[in-house]
Amino acid sequence: MFTLVLRGVRAHLGRLILTLISVVLGVAFVSGSFVLADSLRSIFDQVSEDAFAGVDAQVRAVEPDLNSSQADALRFDDGIIEAIRSLPEADAVEGGLFAFEKTYTVDASGEVVRPLGPPVFTGSWDGPSPVSSFTLLEGEAPTGQQVALDRPQVEAGGFVVGEELTISLPTGEPEQFVLSGIIDFGEGGTGGAFFVLFDLPTAQRVLLADGLVDSIVVAAAEGVSPDELVTAISAVLPDGLEAVTGDVVIGEQQEEFGSFISIFGNVLLGFAVVVLFVSTFIIHNTFATLVGQRTRQYGLLRSIGASGAQIRRMVLLEAGAVGVAASGIGLLGGLGVAAGLKALFSTSGGEFPDGPLEIRTRTIIVVVIVGMVVTLASALLPALRASAVSPLEAFRSGGRRPRSLTFRLVVGSAVTVPGLLALGVGMFGDAGSTSATLALIGVGGALTFIGVSMLSAMFAGPVASAIGAPIARLRGVSGQIARGNASRNPQRTSSTATALMIGLALITGVAVLTQSILDTFDEILTESVSADLFVFEANQGLEFSGLVPDQLRELPEVDAVSGFASVQARIDGEVRSVTGFDSDSGTAVVNMGIVEGTAEIGPDGIAVIDTVAETEGIALGDALSVEFEDGFSTTVEVRGIYDDAAIIGADWLLDRSLTRAHVTVDDVTLVGLTFAEGADPVAARTAVEGITGRFPQLSVQDNTEFREEAEGQIAQLQVVITGLLVLCLVVAFFGIVNTMALAVLERTREIGLLRAVGMTRRQLQSSVRWEAAIISLFGSLLGVVLGLLLGWAAVIAIPDTFVNQVGIPWGQLVAYFVVGGLLGVVAAWFPARRAARLDVLDAISTD
Amino acid sequence: MSTIDSPVDAAAGTVDVVKIYGSGDAAVTALDHVTVDFATGRFTAIMGPSGSGKSTLMHCIAGLDEVTSGTVRIGDTRLADLNDRQLTELRRTQVGFIFQAFNLIPTLTAEENIVLPLTLGGRSPDREWFDTVVDTVGLRDRLRHRPSELSGGQQQRVAVARALASRPTIIFADEPTGNLDSNSGTEILSFMRRAVDEFGQTIVMVTHDPNAAAYADRVVFLADGRIVADMDDPTAAKVLDTMKSLGS
Repeated sequence: MFTLVLRGVRAHLGRLILTLISVVLGVAFVSGSFVLADSLRSIFDQVSEDAFAGVDAQVRAVEPDLNSSQADALRFDDGIIEAIRSLPEADAVEGGLFAFEKTYTVDASGEVVRPLGPPVFTGSWDGPSPVSSFTLLEGEAPTGQQVALDRPQVEAGGFVVGEELTISLPTGEPEQFVLSGIIDFGEGGTGGAFFVLFDLPTAQRVLLADGLVDSIVVAAAEGVSPDELVTAISAVLPDGLEAVTGDVVIGEQQEEFGSFISIFGNVLLGFAVVVLFVSTFIIHNTFATLVGQRTRQYGLLRSIGASGAQIRRMVLLEAGAVGVAASGIGLLGGLGVAAGLKALFSTSGGEFPDGPLEIRTRTIIVVVIVGMVVTLASALLPALRASAVSPLEAFRSGGRRPRSLTFRLVVGSAVTVPGLLALGVGMFGDAGSTSATLALIGVGGALTFIGVSMLSAMFAGPVASAIGAPIARLRGVSGQIARGNASRNPQRTSSTATALMIGLALITGVAVLTQSILDTFDEILTESVSADLFVFEANQGLEFSGLVPDQLRELPEVDAVSGFASVQARIDGEVRSVTGFDSDSGTAVVNMGIVEGTAEIGPDGIAVIDTVAETEGIALGDALSVEFEDGFSTTVEVRGIYDDAAIIGADWLLDRSLTRAHVTVDDVTLVGLTFAEGADPVAARTAVEGITGRFPQLSVQDNTEFREEAEGQIAQLQVVITGLLVLCLVVAFFGIVNTMALAVLERTREIGLLRAVGMTRRQLQSSVRWEAAIISLFGSLLGVVLGLLLGWAAVIAIPDTFVNQVGIPWGQLVAYFVVGGLLGVVAAWFPARRAARLDVLDAISTD
Repeated sequence: MSTIDSPVDAAAGTVDVVKIYGSGDAAVTALDHVTVDFATGRFTAIMGPSGSGKSTLMHCIAGLDEVTSGTVRIGDTRLADLNDRQLTELRRTQVGFIFQAFNLIPTLTAEENIVLPLTLGGRSPDREWFDTVVDTVGLRDRLRHRPSELSGGQQQRVAVARALASRPTIIFADEPTGNLDSNSGTEILSFMRRAVDEFGQTIVMVTHDPNAAAYADRVVFLADGRIVADMDDPTAAKVLDTMKSLGS
């Protein structure tokens, strides 16, 4: 029995290898996702441990529910440092101040020096000490008008130690600093981020944070445990501050990194699952065909006494062999995938820290289980079918009887309808949680694809025939035979086409969604924007100094200027995201669609979006209480109701003169301005750039540039997602190769006959290729249509603030359809060649 | 490749053909210096026990298999001079085939199967000749059917029609009645007989059925790769006698 399986595997090695490849691709992606996530996790774990290696305790502000700064830790008075330093339990004590994307070094040509993905940190450094995260590689620690930088930044800027260099500051007044030394973060490099380090007083001065720190790190004196140190420090701390041990800090950091990496890993796993899902169709198809071809053999085995269960085990053993091999190869392939992904993301900006790739036991177990389950589950139906073969089949010629249309209609609908329902509830309904929503969409999507595949078998014949009609007309008898072959086994045609359909449906869906987002964006820019110029940080959309709008306002060439700041405030008892804007000039640059009242709300007014006003029963003239992160509380009057939050990005609007006074960091995310009447646009823009030039991270763009930039970024995201989805097409490609190879084998005699009665090799090759083209065009058609529906549904499901219209990229859709067809032609190249090379006499006399 | 405008005496023939399968100790001589001619417009049967080389002889003459030595000729074309593409064209234009089973392409209708060799060559069938052939084999009302919708006898009739449709120099039939009941078999043999008598078609048929051989004008007997007997105007009884004498 086992011998039979081995012989079977050996006899069909070629076909099984093709099947193997499709499983391996999916499994390798799964394995690669785990390996990459695990490796990154251990690297970042190490980075956290290095950074806090000598730290026994850290003092920090207790995280309040109101904190408007998105990136930086909350700051507190540095007066407490001396109190801690005088504790007998404390040895080394260092107060530190850190800020995200605030200062930049400028190279000799005036260009800002910054990495493409990772951030630039500005910080304070007292020099080497047991509690310091930094090590000195060269030179000295900075004091006064000096700065220390990391090595990659020094190399990128072409700086040398001792040189005087320019650093742009949040004050808008760049200053000269002497490069005192080169530092490293921990032992393992900076992970791509740049560091600009000053001594504490200088850091406080340039970051506009006089007398403030955000962290105090402490090393315990000899014989004092971290817990004892924390207790001692806690005794001298005022309200609002807390002390924790170094291990707690490390743990928190690792958890934070970990959750970020998990999201990243899960996204990759999501793609891997899609790829695996596509390969199940290929595996199922191969085994279904193999079983069909071996019906007589199974009948013979049954007639000499093999039980149905034994036959079933034989098929499953064969599938198991494929599963084991695929898991093994896929596991190792995962290392390649992880290395490849790492390289891919590194070239696109984010540099991953160096470190070995890690295969954990968990990865091995998961990968083997996934590989086996996917293969066995896909082979289950064919195995059941094989075990149902009656002994009589041995004496009957001819193949399987096709399933009835009613059967397909009933089962196909029974799968599709719940699939669509789950998809619908997931997209439009309320599933309770994000993971439940994702699960519903995932399961619903999978069921829909399976169901459509089953239903498509009903019309695969006629549709393939229709697609083939022009080919038959153009290509003569080769086309005619191709058309006939493509439509003769609807089940096979549809499951081969399904593999292609899934990949193309997802790619098309993404394309439709992208186009819709672009169209929506276009509309927003046309309807909501009246500014002549925008100023913002284009690279990562980061916040920047709130002094920028003030300085721009001084220009005679400029009329209205409004900054937009994102702030957290407690309004009538609830924490809300609020946008602070300059209400005297805001309407000149942005149209927020005032429905009632005015946008000129003034320092003691507030505006609210219509939907919130309605649900919370807020009307013009109402008085609302507002509390800020500094504890300041006031009452404002509702003076406006608006309906367009596209640019503002919040449901509540306050005047910036109010918000900026009560936040630790006075930042804005966007500045819009209009030119003064009669001002020459070119001269005005030059004047604006004169101001923004002091903040080298800022971009100045008009409406058209802004649109092009945003479109470019959205398109780039589409390219990345499509790139990952292309793997589905690769799997589908192998599926087509496999189907065509099986078909050629199955029709050996027919091919022999055709050749005997005078078909040339060339004609034969062409008929195999056209057959593949028809099958894959059928798959492309299904995929593009289904993708169109998916994209359309996604647009409806996503809130209108992001997408409010359906954009259909016709050009891309046609291109995908054509690409699908070409894929088939290329995939058929090898099977076609093999068919053409068959020896006529052998072929005719094949059983 | 040349085509034949005027018939020559022999539609096809071999001179001193040897066919050896395998090499060394495993070498098997399937055809051992066979020289034979098949006259134009005649119906020849090739008979012989299993393994006598009769099918090999047919495959070699039809250009499906290569000979080890000797010459094979169809019309005035020497097959050894042709490459694969030319051989294919020769089969398409000058040779007709009727196999024992699996003669038709399942995805094509009866009519499409009949004209297949013509359409493969990019030619359109001569309508008058096509009608004659179709009426001869009595398939007029079955032309739009797929092979799966036809009986075994009807399928073989389509095969006969296909072989005739391109007016080949010679038709090879390999046990054409082997899979049929006797009524259908008789029918097919009569069609072949009529094709020879009425259209002057040359047919070579491999068979081991003396009753089938009796439809031929001549029977060539093979044993161990050699021609051992050659009989004109056979009857079933005479063929049976010869077979018995060879078999002993």
